[in-house]
Amino acid sequence: MKLQKELRGWLLASPYLLTAVLFFLIPLGWSLSLVLFDWNLIAPVRIYVGLGNFQEALRSTRVLHAFVNTYKFMAAIVPAVVVVSLGLALIVHHLPRLKWFYAVGFFLPYLASGVAISLVVRGVLSYDSAFNAFLRATFGSAPRWLREPAWATLVISAMIVWKLSGYYALIFLAGLQNIPRELYEAAALDGAGALTQFGKITLPLLYPAFYTVLILAVGLCFGIFTEPYVLTGGGPRFATYTWQLEIYYQAFERFRAGYGATVAVLNALATFVSVLIIRRLVESWGVRKGFR
Amino acid sequence: MRLTKSRKNTKNLMLYILATLVLLVMIAPYLYMLLQSLAPWHEVDRVFVPTSLSFRSYQWLFAGGAATLPRPWLRALGNSALVASVVTFSRVIFGAFVGYALAVLSFHGRRIVHNFILFHMFYPGIILLVPTFLLIRAMGLYNTYLAMILPGLVSTWAIFMYANFFRSVPKEVVEAARIDGAGELRIIFRIMIPIARPVTTIVFLFLFMERWIELLWDMIVVRDPAKQTLNVLLTTMFGPYGGYPGPLYAAGVLLTFPIVLVFLIFSRKFVQGVSLVIST
Repeated sequence: MKLQKELRGWLLASPYLLTAVLFFLIPLGWSLSLVLFDWNLIAPVRIYVGLGNFQEALRSTRVLHAFVNTYKFMAAIVPAVVVVSLGLALIVHHLPRLKWFYAVGFFLPYLASGVAISLVVRGVLSYDSAFNAFLRATFGSAPRWLREPAWATLVISAMIVWKLSGYYALIFLAGLQNIPRELYEAAALDGAGALTQFGKITLPLLYPAFYTVLILAVGLCFGIFTEPYVLTGGGPRFATYTWQLEIYYQAFERFRAGYGATVAVLNALATFVSVLIIRRLVESWGVRKGFR
Repeated sequence: MRLTKSRKNTKNLMLYILATLVLLVMIAPYLYMLLQSLAPWHEVDRVFVPTSLSFRSYQWLFAGGAATLPRPWLRALGNSALVASVVTFSRVIFGAFVGYALAVLSFHGRRIVHNFILFHMFYPGIILLVPTFLLIRAMGLYNTYLAMILPGLVSTWAIFMYANFFRSVPKEVVEAARIDGAGELRIIFRIMIPIARPVTTIVFLFLFMERWIELLWDMIVVRDPAKQTLNVLLTTMFGPYGGYPGPLYAAGVLLTFPIVLVFLIFSRKFVQGVSLVIST
C-alpha cells in the first residue's frame, strides 16, 4: 500500500521527468562540453579549443553589437511600454462599462506573429507607400526608416511596445483594482485634486505592478529575434543586431555549433547579471521611497 | 446635481471616444493587413483603404503566378494547427498530471521534484538551443513533425499553474472520491480538471498562442516546405515574394486571423481567468 502510494506520485510525475531528462538534462550537459570545442556539426572530429570560443566571442565586434544594442532597445522599449500600458490600464479602469471589451481589444496585438506584423511594417514604410507619400506631401520628406540605424531601432522597439502593452496593461489594471476606493475619498475630503491623488495614491500603490512589468520587459529585451530577423537582418550596419541573431547566425548559418553555444552562454550571463542589477536598483529605490 | 451629472456624462463620452480611438490604433495593423490582402495589386500599400475589392492575392497565393510555383500555404496552415494543437493539448494534460502529483499526492522526493522544476523553469533556455538541436539530429528527427513536437510536450509553467490551483482544492474532495473507490486518473479527469476550468482556459490560450507564433525553433529543425509551419513558410517567402506584397498579406491573414478567432471565442473565459496569471 505504501509502495503503491509512492509509485503513484512518481508515475504521475513521470511525463515531466522523462522529458526533463531528455530535453533538459542531456542538452544541459552537452552544452557544457560543446563550448570547449570547435565543431562544424558535420566533421567527425571536434577540435578542442579550451576557452578559445570565449576569447573569440569577447573580442568579436558582432557580439559587442548584440550586447550594446540590447541596452539601446531596453532604453527605448522599457519606458515606452510602461507608459503606454499604464495609459491603457487607466483608460480601461475609468470606463464605467464595457471595461473588458476594451481590455480584450487592447490585448489583441499580443496574438500577432512578429512575422505577420513585420510584413505590415515593411509595407507601410516602403518608399512608395501611402504613409510615406503622405509624409512627403505634408513635411516635404520622409525618413528612410529601416535604412537608418536610429530609425530602424525605433521601429522595431515600437513594434515590440505595440505587441506587449495590452498584456502589461492587464497587470496594471489588476493593481489599480486593488487600490481601496476609500483612499481616494479621504484624499478628496482633504482637498487633494485628481493629479495629487494620482501622484500620491495611485503611483505609489502601483509599485508592485511597476516592478513586475519592468522586470518582464527588461528580460524580454535579451530575447529579441523575429522582428530584426525578418525586417532588417540585424542591419543597417548592425544597428538592430541582437544576441539571438548572432547565435542563429553562428550555429545555424555558419554551422559553428561550439561557438554558437558559447555566445548563448554569454547571452544568458548578460541577461542574468543585468536583470539582477536592475532588480536590486528598483528594489532599493522602492525601499527608499517607502513603497515596499 | 443636474449639472455635475451632465458634466460626468460628457467626461464619460470623451473617455469612450479616447478608448475607441486607442483601440483602433491597436488593431490598425490587423485591419491594414486584411484590407491590403483584398486590394487590387496596383493599390497594395499605395492606399490605406482600397477603392475596390479583389481576390487576386488569394487566388495567386494558392495557384501561383506564371513564374512562381505555388507554395503549400494551406498545408502549412494545417501543419501549424497540428503542431500547436498536439503540443498544447499535451502540455495541458501533463500539466494537470504533474501539478496534481505535486499538490495532492504525498510521496518521497516530492520536494526535490518541485525544486528541480523551479530550476528548470529559470534556467535560460537559450543555452539549450544548440545542444537540443544536436540531440534532435542525433535521434534522427531532423525535418520531422516530431522535432517540433517532442521537446515541448511538457510545460513547467503549466505544471505550476495547476499545482497552485490544486493546492486550494479542499483535501476532503479528493478523500471523498477515494473512499468511493476512484483511482487517481479518474479523480484527475472527473473532479480536478473540471474544477480547474479557469486554469485550463488560460493555460490553453497562452500556450496555444505561444506555440502558434514560434519561429526560431521550428525554423531550425524543419527545412522541408511540406512540413513547415505557416509562420516559418511566411518567413522564407519574404525574399522570393518580395515583389508580390498582395499575396504575402493574404498569407499574413491566413496566419493571423485563425488565432485571433480562437482567442475571441474564448475571450469571456480569458477575462474571467486572466488574474490567475498576472497576480503581482
